[in-house]
Amino acid sequence: MLVAVLILILSTALFFFYFQVACQRILSRQFDREYFQSIANANRLEFPSLRKSLEEFGAPLDYSRLRMMLKCDFLALTYLLKNAANVNQRYSHEERLLILYFRWQFLSLALRRLLRLGENKAILKLTAVLQYFANVVGQRVNAVKFGNLTAADYLLNL
Amino acid sequence: MDSSIASYVLQYSGYLIEGGLLLYLGWTKQWKKQRGIIFYLTALLVAELGRTYALYKYGLHSLQYFYVYWSTDFPLVLSAFLLVWLFFRRACCQEEKMWRSIRLILAFAFLLVAGISAATLSRNQNSLFSFFTVEFSQNLYFTCLVLNTLLYILLQQIQSTDEQLGLLVCGVGVQFAGPAAALALDYLTRGEQFAQSLAASIIRLCTLGMLLVWGYAITHVKASKVNQNPVLAEVTID
Repeated sequence: MLVAVLILILSTALFFFYFQVACQRILSRQFDREYFQSIANANRLEFPSLRKSLEEFGAPLDYSRLRMMLKCDFLALTYLLKNAANVNQRYSHEERLLILYFRWQFLSLALRRLLRLGENKAILKLTAVLQYFANVVGQRVNAVKFGNLTAADYLLNL
Repeated sequence: MDSSIASYVLQYSGYLIEGGLLLYLGWTKQWKKQRGIIFYLTALLVAELGRTYALYKYGLHSLQYFYVYWSTDFPLVLSAFLLVWLFFRRACCQEEKMWRSIRLILAFAFLLVAGISAATLSRNQNSLFSFFTVEFSQNLYFTCLVLNTLLYILLQQIQSTDEQLGLLVCGVGVQFAGPAAALALDYLTRGEQFAQSLAASIIRLCTLGMLLVWGYAITHVKASKVNQNPVLAEVTID
């Protein structure tokens, strides 16, 4: 009985550990350049400013607004991931995994808030996922060409 | 109704990804390089197809399905052990000295689990396919999980540059940790209906999680051929 309890506790802890490490490894992927800023500007996403304020001042905005901002950015980016310059119109393997990771971190943010454990770490993880999504969208959009023009050139010439 | 649809979705997406990964590995001619993954994926696919066939032919609560399920679980856990063994080999491909010691530890761990299981078997001969099988699978899964964690620590210790192996190990960790926890819960609740259905869902979810991580690792991350590790090289030379 004791062994089973031990296995249950350790396995659960290791499950979350491996899940987190796998997601962090995917998030550490290097892009050839930072695409996220242009995507964030074009879609008025707020996660870069949120991240900056958190890194510079260490204090986030009020909690309900923060949740709303993260949620809106997440919805916008997942929509773009699926529909912007995506021929298959479906998420890739790692995107599905990161969506799950985002939801888990979002839940952990609420729990941290409830237990007064400090939310900054969870917020930074959430913004890292959003940044990755924005980079992927940016890279895809950049790769699409309209004739001799890239998507960005095409939009500028309109 | 909804939960059964979700369960089917999980099950069939698992099959599709497993088949897709095997085809991709064949298409890109990685049979030799990724033999551990191919072996485990094939074992997984065969076991799952066998279980699905038994489920449709005999039904969920039939004795035949019960036997097929637990009979396929044993070779599956053995193939999991072999997979961890091959991952250790890959991690130590440049360190023959280290591999010789690790090989002994792995063999000892396997014999230890086999010994403990044989001792449990002698005490539970009448209920081979009941609580014992659950406990046996749980122990083997947990052993693989511990070995996998040791492998993860080893990769950090030798500062391995094989990014792909790191991700593959994480995928295996997800695959082993979930079922070990679920089976422990099942054992603790003495086979309660709720725990059993939870365990089934967790096992499917974890398999899907592992396949997603593996899919990313195989298609996006290149395996490094040489383990450039000056620190360890110096230690080995000394």
